[in-house]
Amino acid sequence: MFGYYLDLALRSLKRTPILTGLMMLAIALGIGASVTMLAVLHNLSGNPLPGRSDVLFHPQADPRPADLPGAKEEPPDDLTYVDAVNLYQMGIAPRRVVMSSNHLPVRKDAPDSPLAMYTDRATTADFFAMFGVPFLYGSAWSAQDDASHAQVVVLSRAMNQKLFGGGNSVGKTLVIATKTFRVAGVIDDWNPQPRFYDINDGPFADAEQMYLPFFTWLDLPQDYGYGPMQCWGNDPNAGLHDPKTKQCTWAQFWVQLDTPGQVADYRAALTQYSAQQHQLGRYQREPNVRLRGLLDWLDVKHVIPVTVRMQTWIAFGVLLICMVNTVGLMVAKFLRKSGEIGVRRALGASRRAVFAQCLVEAGVVGVAGGLLGLPLAWLGLWMVRQQPVSFAASAHFDPSMLGIALALAVLSALAAGVWPALRASRVAPALQVKSL
Amino acid sequence: MRIFLQVRPILAALRSHKTAVLLLVLEIALTMAVLGNLVFIVYGTMQRSHTPTGVTESQVGLIQSIGVIGEDNPGTVAGNLAAMRAAPGVEDAAYGFLPLWHADRSPIFLDASRQHPAVHAYEFMGSQGLNRTLGLRVVRGRNFTNTELPDVMDVLMGKVVAPVPALLTESLAQRLYPDGNVLGSILYDGTKSLRVIGIVDHLRGEITGSASDDDSLVYEFRVGAQNMGGGYLVRSQPGRLPEALRAAAAALQKANPGHVENKVLTMAELRENYFQSGLAAGRMLVAIMLILLVVTALGVSGLASFWVQQRRRQIGMRRALGATRRDILHYFQMENLLIVSGGVLLGALFAYALNLFLMHRFELTHLPSHYLVVGALALWLLGQLAVLGPALRAAAVPPVVATRSV
Repeated sequence: MFGYYLDLALRSLKRTPILTGLMMLAIALGIGASVTMLAVLHNLSGNPLPGRSDVLFHPQADPRPADLPGAKEEPPDDLTYVDAVNLYQMGIAPRRVVMSSNHLPVRKDAPDSPLAMYTDRATTADFFAMFGVPFLYGSAWSAQDDASHAQVVVLSRAMNQKLFGGGNSVGKTLVIATKTFRVAGVIDDWNPQPRFYDINDGPFADAEQMYLPFFTWLDLPQDYGYGPMQCWGNDPNAGLHDPKTKQCTWAQFWVQLDTPGQVADYRAALTQYSAQQHQLGRYQREPNVRLRGLLDWLDVKHVIPVTVRMQTWIAFGVLLICMVNTVGLMVAKFLRKSGEIGVRRALGASRRAVFAQCLVEAGVVGVAGGLLGLPLAWLGLWMVRQQPVSFAASAHFDPSMLGIALALAVLSALAAGVWPALRASRVAPALQVKSL
Repeated sequence: MRIFLQVRPILAALRSHKTAVLLLVLEIALTMAVLGNLVFIVYGTMQRSHTPTGVTESQVGLIQSIGVIGEDNPGTVAGNLAAMRAAPGVEDAAYGFLPLWHADRSPIFLDASRQHPAVHAYEFMGSQGLNRTLGLRVVRGRNFTNTELPDVMDVLMGKVVAPVPALLTESLAQRLYPDGNVLGSILYDGTKSLRVIGIVDHLRGEITGSASDDDSLVYEFRVGAQNMGGGYLVRSQPGRLPEALRAAAAALQKANPGHVENKVLTMAELRENYFQSGLAAGRMLVAIMLILLVVTALGVSGLASFWVQQRRRQIGMRRALGATRRDILHYFQMENLLIVSGGVLLGALFAYALNLFLMHRFELTHLPSHYLVVGALALWLLGQLAVLGPALRAAAVPPVVATRSV
């Protein structure tokens, strides 16, 4: 039966090529606009580290004073220096990393070479293994290097290209903030989006240009900020030049926990640590801790930009208008076939059969509109990529969007077709046959 | 007048196509609602991107010079400014801040107890000559004189006792002293007191679209033999900004081997960076608006050509009974005008509803009614253009059609 309806639908559509073309184009434009924004949304809310995101967790503690005006229940995103070091030394998690970022003056280790600022991430050794960072040359530094405040650096591919022409620079030296550092490794392009491990500069900030051992970095003669800080209390100097103050949170902290048992143990240890700090009088608040997985963390932080959410709403508004447009055209189209429908009904077709036939016709329009909409969505995403916005790079066409686009097109065409089909199936056969 | 005589028959004819007409009206109304709000958003962004800051933007540039702790550096602020002024094409130079670059509001108090901030204003501080370099216009009171300026280190360390002379923008003066008695009065910021000596017309710290963007105050300090990184500002001779900025940056770098010149930007580039993402979002919205217009035009002309085809016989009869081609043409044009007008009326309601929703969710302001008028005009025009083809085809139907059976 379906084959027969399909045949009828194709014939009927061929008979009114202009109207059919207009319907398809309307659906295609609506699908193009909405799938473009869906793809952007999908990419922005995607998993930055597939395969690893399940074992990465973000501990938070609450060192704020009890009576902080306007304080929310949620503890600060980052840790104070003291808490970061304490948790870092608490050896329960198989891997853990404490970090922050700023930018530092760098010059090649040669007389009269010019200075330039580069962004850096100060971190501990586990960073590379924990987040699966691929190396081009050399390797990460060791936990021993962290402990001994070794002056080693891992470069990004781009920075290695700029300073050393892209060759194997392992073992060469650089002057960073007036101190001499040895290159331990060069990583390949690596830029997970959203940049989950530090969203202080916006969730779609780029990865830094180089990586330094956290404790070495703290010792450097520098005053370029210690990443965005959140401070409280009345001390006007807090955090300004002293990152180790107890009144400012600024250090990002992540742990890797491989089994549910480890997660439960860590959560208990985190709560116990908070309780202990409370007893010691350093925390004014009762234990208020969080231990969220990577994806939960991104969820809670609402990383999708407001403009994208607004544009997605608008794109679906466009799809709705396209559907109204298609409903109008379909009503016209089906009513035009009233005579034909009358004959079919008179020959014994049930209302249900006429309805089904009209819906198949709507579905064909939907499939064609969807197929036409795909290149439009592809074009739309290309346009998004040309925009100077932080998330532009992540606007690419995902194969999974292909199916969604087609499904959306067929669904919206069917939805647009229901009412016109219902009307067509109500055509009184006697009246139509008489007027033929 | 003959056109208007057709209104009643048109309405009668439309009554037999209620569904299709209602759908078309609905589509036009939705288009109008979305279009009106989008134009409002995009036009607002565009307007903001052309709002002047009050600085002579075509002649002003910034060199961000970062001092590296631990590096030897022979340059001094006064020496650096002299070296920059000596560069070809440079008219003046100063050390300090300028609009659209890390502008932040600070609380301003009217009394020394600093209990309740009277207002939050942008504070622009800089070396002697900041005012001239930025090209601010003093419209009341007087400008700074070099002898009255405090020392830079005293200001930065919070050690000044006497009130520091300051200029206020007209807007900030209005807000603080609505009675106009502003010259000579004393204000307080977080660390010091300020004496108002003059009023400048405009100086916007940021351009968010709010009237308080123009709430700024300016004060200068004396610089000398200090080694300081930060913002070095250049004012070029008219039309020579790019080369003057390059030359000044080179002179500054030569005098300061221990500094990094992190950013060298003209005011136009600062402005471009500032508005980049807003304008990008605006371009996306324009693309969406175009799609909407195309779809609506398709709907109108699709339905119109369907109706023309359906009514070929009736058109033939009317022609046979004496209607001119022009009458037929006008019939379809009038029909379209009526439908679009219905859509526009409903659309005005929808537009306000959508605006309320957007205001609630995305901090938009109220939609001014002239956007609706423009939207209505645009849709009327679009409708007429879309119907022209089918209407012309209708007008071309020969009277003989009436005598033939379908």
